[in-house]
Amino acid sequence: MKTKLLAAIAAIIIIVVAAAIGTWQLTQPLSTLPSPSPTSTPSTSTTSTPSPDARPIKIGLVAGYQLAEGQDMDRAAKLAVEEINAAGGVYVAAWNTKVPIELVIADTGKDTAGETVGPVTRAVTEDNVDLLIGGYTSAGTLADQVVAIENRVPYIITGASSNLVTRRGPQGNYSGLAEGDTKRINDTEGMSYMFHYCTTTFDYSKTVVNFFAETMKPLLDSTYSFNTSRPLRLAVLYRNDAFGKGVLADTKKLIQANGLPIEIVVERPYQTTATSFQTDLTVVKDAKPDAVYVVDFIANTAEIIKEGQKDVGLNTVYIAVECVEDPQFYTLLGEYGDGVLLESKFAPYAGPPFYLPSIGTYVTNYQAKYNTLPGMMGADTYDAFFIAKAAIEQAGTVDKAAVRTAIEQINIPQMLIMTETGTVQFSTGTNYHEIAPITFIEQFTYNATLQECRPKIVYPATVPGIGTLKQADFVLPTSYQSGSP
Amino acid sequence: MITPSGLAETLLWGAANGSIYILLATGLSIIFGVMKLVNFAHGQLLMIGAYIAFATSTVLGLNAYFSILVSMGGVALIGLFVERFTFRKVLGTDKLNEIFVSLGLIYIFENAAVLLWGNKSAQIVSSLHGLLSIGGISISYDRLAAMGIVIAILVALMFLMKKTKIGLAMRATSQKSDTAMLMGINIEKVYIFTFALGAALAGAAGALYGIIFPFSPALGALPTIKAFAIIILGGLGSIPGAVVGGLLYGIAENTAGYLLGGIWPDAIAFVLLIAVLVIKPTGIFGGKGD
Repeated sequence: MKTKLLAAIAAIIIIVVAAAIGTWQLTQPLSTLPSPSPTSTPSTSTTSTPSPDARPIKIGLVAGYQLAEGQDMDRAAKLAVEEINAAGGVYVAAWNTKVPIELVIADTGKDTAGETVGPVTRAVTEDNVDLLIGGYTSAGTLADQVVAIENRVPYIITGASSNLVTRRGPQGNYSGLAEGDTKRINDTEGMSYMFHYCTTTFDYSKTVVNFFAETMKPLLDSTYSFNTSRPLRLAVLYRNDAFGKGVLADTKKLIQANGLPIEIVVERPYQTTATSFQTDLTVVKDAKPDAVYVVDFIANTAEIIKEGQKDVGLNTVYIAVECVEDPQFYTLLGEYGDGVLLESKFAPYAGPPFYLPSIGTYVTNYQAKYNTLPGMMGADTYDAFFIAKAAIEQAGTVDKAAVRTAIEQINIPQMLIMTETGTVQFSTGTNYHEIAPITFIEQFTYNATLQECRPKIVYPATVPGIGTLKQADFVLPTSYQSGSP
Repeated sequence: MITPSGLAETLLWGAANGSIYILLATGLSIIFGVMKLVNFAHGQLLMIGAYIAFATSTVLGLNAYFSILVSMGGVALIGLFVERFTFRKVLGTDKLNEIFVSLGLIYIFENAAVLLWGNKSAQIVSSLHGLLSIGGISISYDRLAAMGIVIAILVALMFLMKKTKIGLAMRATSQKSDTAMLMGINIEKVYIFTFALGAALAGAAGALYGIIFPFSPALGALPTIKAFAIIILGGLGSIPGAVVGGLLYGIAENTAGYLLGGIWPDAIAFVLLIAVLVIKPTGIFGGKGD
C-alpha cells in the first residue's frame, strides 16, 4: 500500500515538476519598443453618405491577464481605444466615415507558448479581427504569431524582446537559424505582416555597456585613483533562459565588438524557479565586481538587489533592465533601491516634467483612470493603437494587405517611446520591421515620505530631437564598495 | 571561488530556508499520517497564509511577526472548511478522488487569490533590519527569527502530540483508525482538527515565507513539490522525518548552488531524494507502513 502510494506520489511530482519547469522555460521576458504618436485625422466628408459596409474596427489585444504586465497592457489598450473613440474614431476613406475601435481580448493567461495559440486563433478565425496588437513573452509570441502569419493578419508586437519575431523569415535571414529549425518561417509574404514595436535584448545591453564605459568607469577611476587601463569589473547575474542568455550574449558581443574597457568577472546563471539568491550573490561578491547586471523580471530582480545588500553585504552598483519598470518594482525594493540603476525606455516616475509632453498626458490620464502609475509594458501597447489608427487612415481601408503596407510605410512622430529619428518608422532589410528605440539609464533615490524610490535619468545627456535628457549626474551609492583595484 | 566563510554561510542560509520547508512539510506529513490524505493544494495554503499576513500587516498595521498568528488562525479556518466540504466527501474512496479534489483546490485557491489581491508580487515589510555577523559569517535577523519561530512551533507541536488528549487521539488514529474508532475516538473530529492543524502550519510557513521572499498567487506549486520531496525523504507521516528532511533539503539545495552553480539546486536536491529512496525506500524515518 505504502510503496504504491509512494510510487504514485513520485509519478505525480515528476509530472508536476516537468510541467512547472516547462512553463518557466517557456515564459521568457518581454521587452518593449518605441511607439508612435497620434496623427491628424482627415475630416469626414459631409457631402456624401457613409458606406453601409462601415463597422467598428476590430483590434485583438494579445495579453496575459494573469500577469501584472498583461494587465498593464490591457489598461493601456483600453485608454488608447477610449481616447481614439472619444475623438471620433478612425477615418476609413473607403467607408467615407469615422468608425470606432472595438477591442477584442485574446487572454493568453501567463503567456506561455502553450497558452497563446488558442486565444489568438479564436480572435483571428472567430472574431475576425482586423489587426493584432500585443504579445508579451518571446516564447508565447513566437507561437501565436504563426496564426497571424498564416491568416495574413497584421500584428504589431509590443512585447517579446527576441528579435526572432520578425527575423525568423527570409527577410531577416532566418536570424541565423539553421535550415530545418522549427522556428524558421519560410512564408515571406506571411512574415511581412509582422511588426516589432519593442526594444530587444541588444538594445538593452547597448545602453548598459555604453553607460559603464562612458560614465561609470571614468567616475571610478577618478574616485579611487584607478589606472585608466583598469577595465570596469562587471558581474552578470541572469535567469537561465533565452532572455537571460540573450542579454549576456549581446553584452559580451558589444563589449568585444566595440573594444569597451569592461571585463565580465563572473557570469552567474540561476534557475528560473529560484526564489533565493544568496549563494549566487556570495559567488558574485567573491569576484569583487564594480557593478552587478541583474537580468530578470520584477520580483526576482527586486529580491536579488535586496538580498545582495541585506543578507550578503554586497554593496555595489546594481543595474536592472527595463522590464521591471513597474509600480510593484518600486514597492518591492523599498529603501534597498537607493542608488540602483535601471535601463529603461519609458520613465513614468521620472517627472514631471517629462522629457516628452506626451508622457505627462499619458501618466495623468492613466492615473486618473486606474489610480496607479503606468508600467512600461503598456506604453508600447498604447502607442501601437495609434500606429494602427494612422495606418488604417493612410490605407483608407481595413483590407489587411493594404493596412500591412501602410504600417510598413508609416512615418509619424514618436509618442511615448523615443526613437533615434524622432519618428515611428519600421525598418526593412535584415533588421526586419523593427524600430530604432532610444533607451536610457535611471538612478533611484529613496524618498522617505513615499517610502519608495524615485528615479532620475542619468544617461545619456542628450538625445536627438529632444535635446537634454539627463536629469541628474550619476553618483556612487553611499555604501558603495568598489571591486578589486 | 569557494571560501570557508562562504560555505559556512551557505549551510546556515540553507538551514534557514529549510526551516520554512520544515513547517510546510510537517503540516503535510501530519495530514497524511493521520488521514492518509495526499493534499497537493498544501502549497496554496502557504500562499494564502502569506497573503493573510500581508493583508493584516499592511491594512491593520500589525507587526509582521504578530501577523503570523493571524495567518495561522485564518488558514486553519480555511482548512476546516476545506476538510468538511471537500475531502470528507471523498475520504476513504479511491485515492484518485482525493488527488483530483486537491488538484482542483489548487486552481480555486490561486484564482481566489488573484481576485482578492491581484496577481502582482508582494512582500511583507519586516520590522527587523540588518545582519548578524560573527567571524565573517552573516545572516539577516529575519532569517534568524524564522528559525527561532519554527523551533518554537515545533516544540509546541510536540507538546500537543505527546501531552494532550487530542494528540493522543491523533496518534491512535494514525496507527490504526478502525481500532481508534472502536476505542471511542471520534474520528471525524480528529480528522477535522488534524487538517486545520496542518493548514495552520502552512499558514505560519506562508507568513514567514512572505517576510523573507516576495510572493504571488502562483507561489504554491513549487513549495508543494518541495514539501512532498521532504516528507518522502524523511519518511511519510513522520514529524521527525519532516524536520530532518526539511533541513537536509534546504542545506542540499543551497550547497549545490554554491559549489556547482545556480542552475543545480533543484537537481541536486532531487538526486538526494532518489538516493535516499534507493537506499531506504520508506525514507529516513519511515517505518514498514500499513
